[in-house]
Amino acid sequence: MNGNLSLHDLDRDGAIRETEAGLPTETRRDLLKGAAAGGAALGLLTTASPAHAATRGDVAILNYALVLEYLQSAFYTEAERRKALRTATAKQTARVLGAVERAHVSALERALGSAAVKRPFFDFRGTTEDEDAFIKTAVAFEDLGAAAYKGQAYRIESRPILQAAIAIHSVEARHAAWIRYLAGTTPASSAFDEPKSMSEVNRLVASTRFIVRRPATRSRRRPRFTG
Amino acid sequence: MANDQHHTAASRRGFLQLGLAGASTLSLGAVLAAGAPRAVAATPSPRLDVEVLNYALLLEELQASFYETALDRGRLRGELREFAEVVVEHEQAHVKLLRGALGGKARAIPRFGFGAAVTNQRRFAAAALRLEDLGVAAYNGQAANLTRNALIAAARIVSVDARHAAWIRAIQGRPPARQATDPASTRSEALAELRKTGFVKS
Repeated sequence: MNGNLSLHDLDRDGAIRETEAGLPTETRRDLLKGAAAGGAALGLLTTASPAHAATRGDVAILNYALVLEYLQSAFYTEAERRKALRTATAKQTARVLGAVERAHVSALERALGSAAVKRPFFDFRGTTEDEDAFIKTAVAFEDLGAAAYKGQAYRIESRPILQAAIAIHSVEARHAAWIRYLAGTTPASSAFDEPKSMSEVNRLVASTRFIVRRPATRSRRRPRFTG
Repeated sequence: MANDQHHTAASRRGFLQLGLAGASTLSLGAVLAAGAPRAVAATPSPRLDVEVLNYALLLEELQASFYETALDRGRLRGELREFAEVVVEHEQAHVKLLRGALGGKARAIPRFGFGAAVTNQRRFAAAALRLEDLGVAAYNGQAANLTRNALIAAARIVSVDARHAAWIRAIQGRPPARQATDPASTRSEALAELRKTGFVKS
């Protein structure tokens, strides 16, 4: 397994490259530089944990993380595709966060191999079609993501998996702060971030009803092409 | 109440400095020697926790002192001032938590000096960004060395430092999260980076 897996290797649909193309040069350079470094820690997942080598507990934690990452990545990807975001910053945030969350998904899928859970179907209930709802939901997702990783870190048995998870954890916190800043609310509301247990997180996710049994076929907006 | 607690921490620090005649002063050199490039995998133990938490304490004391001094100088305006006012309280709380966890094993801290970084807004922002990113990488680099309870405590802190890092980046119009994962520094890397700032004086 390639230990130096870079973000570009993970970038199956070219989203990160597209994201870079739309950014000012300095930002683009930053993102590129970061992509290699980010890939190194994500690579820990794959070098260390072909699912057969990971313990059953670690596989369960990785799958739990994968569902949250599926949720986040689908959310940003859909928001970007629906083209409902108005401001340039919101658009750019959806692009960058979408690319990063997709990279997390790819890395977790590879680490889990055939043990990976199937990607669920989502219905974001209009939150990808309205900028205010989008920002509020993104704040909730990122705060939740950070709390979820924090709640599992000490339970992880494999050292490289812990290192990768903790390196994702602080990025989720950065995202939370970033979106909060955009939302005009304080990026760091307390001196300590508290963890959330798996059951708490699952209950919160269930309460959103964003995960559905069937693919969503309806949209609150009119289809762009009505034939 | 808060003042009393502050006083206690300060007295303990004073006591340590006097009682141990500076022998345990956490100088960069001492930490570098103690933490000299060890193999990547150290087995977590209460003893190693003390070493790592003292290292975290140095970083948190430095951050707290940086924001305290900058606010004292009174040159910060607008968003930067608002940022410093919120963040200084967080860093003080982190120091308190770490001191509480370390108890009598908390080492004394060196003197700090921040020069123009606490009087010039642009330099302040650059230094804050550097210190917060450095802190995140330092914590992330130690996660796997900590025992369960120390890891739980460190994880409650590191994401707040990550929020600070993203916040100060956003204020400066820089991308708050540049990559899919945050880098992790070894102790010697983080201390070398710290030394480069010139903020640690003894």
